[in-house]
Amino acid sequence: MALLDVKDLSTSFRTEDGIVTAVEGVSFSVEKGQTLGIVGESGSGKSVTCLTIMGLNPKRNTITSGEALWKGDDLLTMKSNDLRQVRGNDISMIFQDPMTSLNPVLTIGRQLTEAVLLHRDVTKKVARARAVELLGAVGIPRAQTRIDDYPHQFSGGMRQRVMIAMALINDPDLLIADEPTTALDVTTQAQILSLMKRLQEDFGSAIIMITHDLGVVAELADDVFVMYAANVVEQATVYDLFSQPQHPYTWGLMGSLPRLDADVERLTQIPGQPPSLLNPPRGCRFHPRCPYVMEVCKTTVPALKPTSRDPNHFEKCHLDEETKEREAAKLLAATMAEAG
Amino acid sequence: METAPAANPQTGEELLVVENVRKYFPITRGIIFQKEIASVKAVDGVSFSVKPGETLGIVGESGCGKSTLARCIMKLLEATDGKITFEGRDITKLSRPAMRPIRREMTMIFQDPYASLNPRKRVGFIIGEPLEVHGLGSSSEIKRRVQELLEVVGLNPEHYNRFPHEFSGGQRQRIGVARALAVNPKLIVCDEPVSALDVSVQAQILNLLKDLQDDFGLTYIFIAHDLNVVRHISDRVMVMYLGKVVEVASRDVLYREPKHPYTGALLSAVPIANPELGRSRQPIVLEGDVPSPVNPPSACNFHPRCPRFVEGHCDVEDPPLYSFGNGHVAACHYPLERWPMNADEIRRAGERTKSEHPEQPLPA
Amino acid sequence: MFRYLVRRTLWAILLFIVITFVTFVIFFVGPNNPARAVCGGEQAKRECLVRATAKLGLDQPMPVQYWKFVKQLVIHQDLGESFATSQSVNQRIKEAAPVTASLVFGGAILWMIIGLTVGIYSALKPRSLTDRFAMIFVLIGVSAHPVWIGLILEYVFGVRLGWTPIANYANFFGAPSDSGQPGGPWQWFYHLILPWCTFALLFAALYVRMIRANVMETLNEDFVRTARAKGAPERQVLVSHVLRNALLPVVTMLGMDIGIGLGGAIFTEYVFQLPGLGQTAIIGINNQDLAIVQGVIVFATVAIIVFNLLVDLLYAWIDPRIRLT
Repeated sequence: MALLDVKDLSTSFRTEDGIVTAVEGVSFSVEKGQTLGIVGESGSGKSVTCLTIMGLNPKRNTITSGEALWKGDDLLTMKSNDLRQVRGNDISMIFQDPMTSLNPVLTIGRQLTEAVLLHRDVTKKVARARAVELLGAVGIPRAQTRIDDYPHQFSGGMRQRVMIAMALINDPDLLIADEPTTALDVTTQAQILSLMKRLQEDFGSAIIMITHDLGVVAELADDVFVMYAANVVEQATVYDLFSQPQHPYTWGLMGSLPRLDADVERLTQIPGQPPSLLNPPRGCRFHPRCPYVMEVCKTTVPALKPTSRDPNHFEKCHLDEETKEREAAKLLAATMAEAG
Repeated sequence: METAPAANPQTGEELLVVENVRKYFPITRGIIFQKEIASVKAVDGVSFSVKPGETLGIVGESGCGKSTLARCIMKLLEATDGKITFEGRDITKLSRPAMRPIRREMTMIFQDPYASLNPRKRVGFIIGEPLEVHGLGSSSEIKRRVQELLEVVGLNPEHYNRFPHEFSGGQRQRIGVARALAVNPKLIVCDEPVSALDVSVQAQILNLLKDLQDDFGLTYIFIAHDLNVVRHISDRVMVMYLGKVVEVASRDVLYREPKHPYTGALLSAVPIANPELGRSRQPIVLEGDVPSPVNPPSACNFHPRCPRFVEGHCDVEDPPLYSFGNGHVAACHYPLERWPMNADEIRRAGERTKSEHPEQPLPA
Repeated sequence: MFRYLVRRTLWAILLFIVITFVTFVIFFVGPNNPARAVCGGEQAKRECLVRATAKLGLDQPMPVQYWKFVKQLVIHQDLGESFATSQSVNQRIKEAAPVTASLVFGGAILWMIIGLTVGIYSALKPRSLTDRFAMIFVLIGVSAHPVWIGLILEYVFGVRLGWTPIANYANFFGAPSDSGQPGGPWQWFYHLILPWCTFALLFAALYVRMIRANVMETLNEDFVRTARAKGAPERQVLVSHVLRNALLPVVTMLGMDIGIGLGGAIFTEYVFQLPGLGQTAIIGINNQDLAIVQGVIVFATVAIIVFNLLVDLLYAWIDPRIRLT
């Protein structure tokens, strides 16, 4: 049985201007020990999807539907107390900005032991020992003394490590990481990603990695899905996604990346900008920006269907398979010229 | 201890020459009278030059001083030391009025499209203000020019009277570009212009900048922390670490044959959007954090984190910018012999070259 | 920390000198002659004027008078004698200060209780009925003048309903039995109820607004989301994470406001006839009694400076970001 099974998840927010549907009809599952990558730009709904699963959206003015089955129990309809038992214990989440994600007036030791004491019936001493253990595991030097320091005494990279320690302290089965390295320098990012890979092996947790960086996804994820304007537009294993992308948005994303390993004269640019979620375009939401748009795209929403070549590869586009294969090949030829 | 900027011999045709610029921010202490006890060495002896029409990329992580350097070049900050020459003229100590005409020749594009436009002014005013300040035309001429610029950057000229909040991030950055272009400058300093934008919008702005360079013969100094982006747009690249220049080379050479271990680590750290390649490599992961610019390490300021550190040499003798031919310089006593290297290889090579005299050409 | 303390103290001394000097100057530049006031105003006889001027030292140049004042203050801690009554100013202040202190500290407790409960509740339930009423309350509290409020309360509760005394102050420690004045702790409390409400109203309004805004802003901070993501119950999130951060600035404001209040809650004291520092100052001004006025100002200045300093130190202590840099 899958660890997490999400079916047809939708989340909307009531705002002064109307109802904004941030996530629409998203389904996916996560297996034990697996890494799932969620790729998308700002406004795509990737963060809200996970915040909904964790129940961290503001209670007022949020409408949620669908199912999120955690080991068989639906997180969306669970009682608050039960959901709180799951949060920070079975499922943990770390966020983007390490500079603001820790309480500035409490020591990190206090914040770490809080995480333990919320879910384990142990003494403060035991909790503290566990905190020191985790700090050491994430590579904070002199953990015994540094545990009594305050967040402002750590750098950004260190703070993110503390966040990871806090997330893993109760041995969760799933870790959700929402853009954990976006606010960090590239060498620090490399440290954190390498740390996460190692910890995943040591602790055996599954990871959902939310990011806009295709490089991070390529290096870390086993399975990926791409989100655009609250929908999933493509879903596949990571190798499949990069070797046979099937959706024009994915092509656009890959083509618009400046590369280290290839020479591109002119980047593919996707014209326009992401649509308003207050009044999304009719039919396929990507159609106003799509270079391959056809009449049907403007009226009918394409279904998320598996490709004929690979039943585990889903995409949401009206184009025929032949065109897709051709365009995908063109893209790969251009951008992966010097690969290997 | 510093050798002359061997990589950038002045042939007289450089648009901008920066020599040994330093910018220190004092840290003071004292009850009544503030005494300087230390300083933040944000920029610590940087030299380079830029030829007309080329794009110099400056790359480095947070705290390396690249933004401070940009502001010193633009004279938004007064350099503590050093010399800045623009079009053959020394502008380092120019007064504000004297700098005015030069500000028509060099302009800047900023990082945050949301903070760099005055939210209470209309877009037409924002783009036209530089023209007004320099007295470049009557108000109707300025208006026409502004509408022309809006079109050039891909916006609708009829949006002349809109406010910044009515535009998206990418569009606002286009407005910033138009503003920088308004006075027909020779040099545009771009301080992380695409860092705050989504990937798809980033591509639009990068393509726009490239097109404008071709159309108007612009020279760019392009500052970024994203190596992919810098590679795409630069002709030459300069790598900075903790206020100093560690390597300068033409774009292809830097990315194919970096000499400085820090450059290697930077290149190695960038995730590759190719699962087969990306997962099989062993990236060079640096230990520890970037040290504080108040108390930089002795001699080579990279030595505490360098996988090739040779005790007794690297922490004692400050490496000058050794030359590797064709304008390629790197400040390292034990430069990388080849590239790519992974984490083990980079260390092993260091041990080996310690015993024999390192094979590097003498400073030019 | 130490350097900070020294620097603040030096500034405080400078401030003190400037304030007392300016007060002196105002009195001398002013059109009225204190000697004339002492001798009965318009009907002042010439000999009286001459004698009063000599006694009060008014015939000497201003800097000399100022210097005498400062010397007396610093060396003897003596604020001089009242021009009007020849009573020791020190004594006068000693009598008036506890009255003002009772008013201000009691008022502070009251306004903090209101501010915290209403402010936090409104922040947790924005746009609810309570929140809207709270905002109306804020508007009234900020706009209504203490004299007006005081008079209304006096009339309604004192005169009409007879629930509270109308005015006057009762000494906490008991009044002399032959003075005909009320005394003792209960009377003290009873007489201060209306003054407390009046004095506290304005501050309560300000604090409700400030606390509400701070709490609402803190609720949106990333670290609060982290705390929830850890599975903390909402109450723990509120106390350990939200309030601890949101209420930090309140500490500073509280100290400053108490300091200011101690200088003389003039309007409230006036309306309720409380013989505190405010009243004393008004009487002094009306009598052109420089000594008394100067005395009150000195006391108030010292109180404000000391309180501000204490509060800054306290803040630096409880906020680790400041304490540990």
